[in-house]
Amino acid sequence: MDLAGFLFDGFALPFMARALAVLAALSLVAGVVGVLVNLRGLEFISDGLTHAVFPGIAIGFVWSGQDGLFVGALIAALVASVALTLIARSKVPTDAAIAVVFTAMFSIGVVVVSREANYAGQLEQLLFGRLLTVGPAEVVQTIVICGVALLVVALTLKEQVFRAFDHTGFSAAGYRPLLLDLMLNGAIALVVVAATSAVGNLLVLAVLIVPGAVARLLTSRLWLLFPIAAVFSGVAAWLGLALGYAASVDLGIELSSGATVVLVLVAGYAVALLARILVDRLRGRTER
Amino acid sequence: MNENPPDPAPALAVSGASFSYGRGPALEDITFELRPGEAVALIGPNGSGKSTLLKGVLGLVPRVSGTVTVLGQSAAPAGSVGYVPQTEDIDPHFPITLEQVVMMGRYRSLGWLRLPSRRDRDAVAHALETVGLGPLAKSRFGQLSGGQQKRGLLARAVVSGPRLLLLDEPFNGLDQENRDALIGTIDRLKAGGLAVLVSTHDLELARAVCEEVLLLNGSQVAFGPRDEVLTLDNVQRTFQDVGVEMDEHTVVVPGHEGH
Repeated sequence: MDLAGFLFDGFALPFMARALAVLAALSLVAGVVGVLVNLRGLEFISDGLTHAVFPGIAIGFVWSGQDGLFVGALIAALVASVALTLIARSKVPTDAAIAVVFTAMFSIGVVVVSREANYAGQLEQLLFGRLLTVGPAEVVQTIVICGVALLVVALTLKEQVFRAFDHTGFSAAGYRPLLLDLMLNGAIALVVVAATSAVGNLLVLAVLIVPGAVARLLTSRLWLLFPIAAVFSGVAAWLGLALGYAASVDLGIELSSGATVVLVLVAGYAVALLARILVDRLRGRTER
Repeated sequence: MNENPPDPAPALAVSGASFSYGRGPALEDITFELRPGEAVALIGPNGSGKSTLLKGVLGLVPRVSGTVTVLGQSAAPAGSVGYVPQTEDIDPHFPITLEQVVMMGRYRSLGWLRLPSRRDRDAVAHALETVGLGPLAKSRFGQLSGGQQKRGLLARAVVSGPRLLLLDEPFNGLDQENRDALIGTIDRLKAGGLAVLVSTHDLELARAVCEEVLLLNGSQVAFGPRDEVLTLDNVQRTFQDVGVEMDEHTVVVPGHEGH
């Protein structure tokens, strides 16, 4: 199989095209949101959000299947992002609070799902996604949710960057950080919701965090970070899907498509890290 | 400056003000005035409430009693107050250039959803010239020296033409060149009618740019014209340490200098 065949053949199949559409929308928004997560150092909070959204997904899924999944997740995302914003604002140490609250939430989700008949199969779907069985309605839902998340951060992007750079200066300029924090945490939660049915709740974090980290390695030019993260994420998704398809068709090896995409993302990070180290060596400086 | 009437309306008037983060007062009973074109130095040991007072004036620390009047109003009008924070909290790896940092000072007047125009870029270039960093506009902020970073944040604070400027320990850890450049810039801004409130434990700065001095140690120790307030007795009471020595440049406090 030639390269063009590797890259394009599989996507003639509708289920592959749908998977690509979902991942393209996710890549765009996760790239932009992910850069802000990186600049703000919100990786741990994002991890908390993925756990917190899980019971909403589980309850919605148990309640009314795939449609309920989005509704339940959206409600959980809203509640979790508000709770999280308030916890992060309080002056008590937040890491322990976040860990306690959100692992508890996650456990509630597992308990809810475990009461279902086909427990193992359904839990697996929610945790690891079912990228290749995403239906046309879900594609639309995912794109709409991604669109809302993108809009929320894109409209406040320069303020979000100011907030990330210098919290005190931002407040001193007369802004209210609470509003911006709610918007960013809300956008992160929306990405978690949108990504759950595709790559699963456990792998969402990679989609949120890796592209932003790669962009940081590749450039120090502020406004280039966002397109680089989005494009990197999109290319990795494409390659991951093509790889999974080729393995299945040519070699008869069934790979989990969500996990394959995540591994390609991480491999991309490793390549970017290596390139960064080499470039820094060649330039003979240690500054990143 | 000489055309001003002898006693213009104060840019900042603080009367009997106390500030608190929630658990007991952080700073008590502050009363002073700052007129346009003049500067007040806030002097006190670490933890004496210098930063609290600056943030209280900005409305970032709740005021539990007294009044703060900024430019004749009870809350600082947006864009009328410039603030230079301490640089310690800023991530040196943050991917941003000096001119992008200065542009942040325009965001508030620019408003949400709007991108900077030619006029904003001109204002940024002018502010960078004012602090003497024009040639470094495209440099990464984190790669500048500590003194250049502070001058950069000063440019951000003045880029929207404020009438009151608050500086939090701008002279900490500066070399002589950056110190002189900063003093020169503050002098020029004052000559343009800007009122300046600056926290420091550096008497050289107080002598170079400040007409009046406010000594703090959890509450107000003394306020008044620089040379009347900066007595050895007052300074010892402020630092609560009879080991304090003074010469014409610095307060020498064991364990307090060099931050």
